[in-house]
Amino acid sequence: MDFELTEEQQLIQAMAREFAQTKVAPIAAEIDQNHRFPSELIPELQALNLLGIPLPEEYGGAGADAISYVLVIEELARACASTAIILSTHTSLCAWPIYKFGNEMQKKQYLSKLASGEWLGAFGLTEPSAGTDAASMKTIAVLEDDQWVLNGSKIFITNGAYADVFLIFALTDPAHGTRGISAFIVDKGTPGFSCGAEEKKMGIKASSTTPLYFSDCRIPRENLLGKEHKGFSIAMAALDVGRIGVAAQALGIAQGALDAAVAYAKERIQFGKPIASHEAIQWMIADCATEIDAARMLVYRAAWNKDKGLPYSSEAAMAKLFASETATRVAGKAIQIHGGYGFTESYSVERSYRDAKITELYEGTSEVQRMVVSRSLLH
Amino acid sequence: MKIVACYKCVLDEADIRTDPVSRKPLTDRAKRKISDYDRNAIECAVSFAEGLGASSHVLTAGTSEAKSTLKDALSRGPDSAFFFQDDAMGDADSAVVARVLAGALKLIGEVDLVVCGEGSSDNYAQQVGPRVGQLLGIPIVTCVTHMTIEDGVARCERNLEDGVEVVEVSLPALVTVLPSMNAPRLPGLKQILAASKKPVQNLTVTDLGLSGEDLVPRLRRVEMLGASSTRRNVKLTGSAGEVVAQLLQVLKQEELI
Repeated sequence: MDFELTEEQQLIQAMAREFAQTKVAPIAAEIDQNHRFPSELIPELQALNLLGIPLPEEYGGAGADAISYVLVIEELARACASTAIILSTHTSLCAWPIYKFGNEMQKKQYLSKLASGEWLGAFGLTEPSAGTDAASMKTIAVLEDDQWVLNGSKIFITNGAYADVFLIFALTDPAHGTRGISAFIVDKGTPGFSCGAEEKKMGIKASSTTPLYFSDCRIPRENLLGKEHKGFSIAMAALDVGRIGVAAQALGIAQGALDAAVAYAKERIQFGKPIASHEAIQWMIADCATEIDAARMLVYRAAWNKDKGLPYSSEAAMAKLFASETATRVAGKAIQIHGGYGFTESYSVERSYRDAKITELYEGTSEVQRMVVSRSLLH
Repeated sequence: MKIVACYKCVLDEADIRTDPVSRKPLTDRAKRKISDYDRNAIECAVSFAEGLGASSHVLTAGTSEAKSTLKDALSRGPDSAFFFQDDAMGDADSAVVARVLAGALKLIGEVDLVVCGEGSSDNYAQQVGPRVGQLLGIPIVTCVTHMTIEDGVARCERNLEDGVEVVEVSLPALVTVLPSMNAPRLPGLKQILAASKKPVQNLTVTDLGLSGEDLVPRLRRVEMLGASSTRRNVKLTGSAGEVVAQLLQVLKQEELI
């Protein structure tokens, strides 16, 4: 057993940390306050090959492993959770499924531009009445004149207003529920396809979250991803990978909150000495550090399983479940350590607390993760 | 044309803590890194090589610990690395390091430009660069913040305490650079992953024509302790004149003036 990162992984971690601290952290508070998508970071992420980390070099990706991928997400989230989810959604939920389930033509047409970072990707599964219950989906796709005609809508789509390529799930056989769902690749700007207004969110405010609308939206027949009616399996496979990304995001949020709490505890003087010298603070910091380390082990283990070709669905669910709830707890403790100042926008822990909550909700709520884990044991 | 950047592997000062009682530095959790200004030296070598169609290389001398920095150095753009590894380098002083680097540069051969950082992140003795140049018998320009190379001549701006000096030297030459020389590039993922495929040539004492005696330092470290400061909490009161007089008295008592 080896807990040490490889030399390459350490270098990738250091690179991501330097990028996150020098380019992302300085704008993190501003883009959060202004609900501003950090468009200026996209070319920089592209230049560092961070928009195609685990994708093969032959399609323009970096060809790195899943551990490297989570290290990058973690470091980005440590500085800015919004930036981390932009990258995670693009990679895990759009580019990766096209790599895994796409045919050669789709890989050449879409994956090469997604993996190189020329295009940004998004994933559209959730609908107003179909969250965890994907079978309640209303969006339908009908084959007409060698084209798929999509009608319906999606909500809470990350990267919605900025993505160039969308992986959209729609019913092709409404009578068969999840076994009647298919996956489609939809280009931005396709007639009949539009993006709605940005959601006003509690956290990750710099990420774009919009509804998508399909009104007689016609796409080429060859834009079906994988086999007809097999879309639900594609969505679940994508979410397994996505959960590793969200778990890494939660881990980064927690680490960032602890970093801030430790720094503050050393600086803040009360009763004539730094509050770090008080046992009450020391215990909170020790508990946070221990929980974060446990979360890190779970997140890295899930990624390691994926790299080794081992099953990782349950491991990814455990990692996301524990890391996301850890992030919320740690961010709460970090505010507690900051006292009243932590409740103000002057300190980053306030943002950490708001950002942490979403990691317990998207790409499967904590309750869904518990379902995935328990099913692996009981079924 | 061949450009070689020399760099030193140092402990990352961000990881070094000090024992509060003994004041001894605690380095067991400290990672190794390329000395800060040497990153500017590598960037200088690589960017000039790219502009001039030359080859660029890195050279380092250290213990086995220094090996961990080779991929980092190679990910920053040079074509290859030269690594002199010897346990004796753990205690090496500037003279020993310069002797080794000069020997290695002679072995590499036909080096047109040697680039060093102005000083290392740990000792900042500012000696290795000039000593290497002296041993090679080539012009040395220190404190360089800007440079152009044309027709075999390097035109360098030196940032000195009392102004900027512009000098021209014929190549081959050695320059030591300050951090304002450039902004070291952040290697992308592909550069990091490609670094392991670049050649590394390992060098030994025998390769350099040196003996064990040449690696014996003359400088001996007696002790190393973390800096500490304690407040006396002395408050001087009275009129401005009285306070100044009291302050002078305190400073004299402490033998500071």
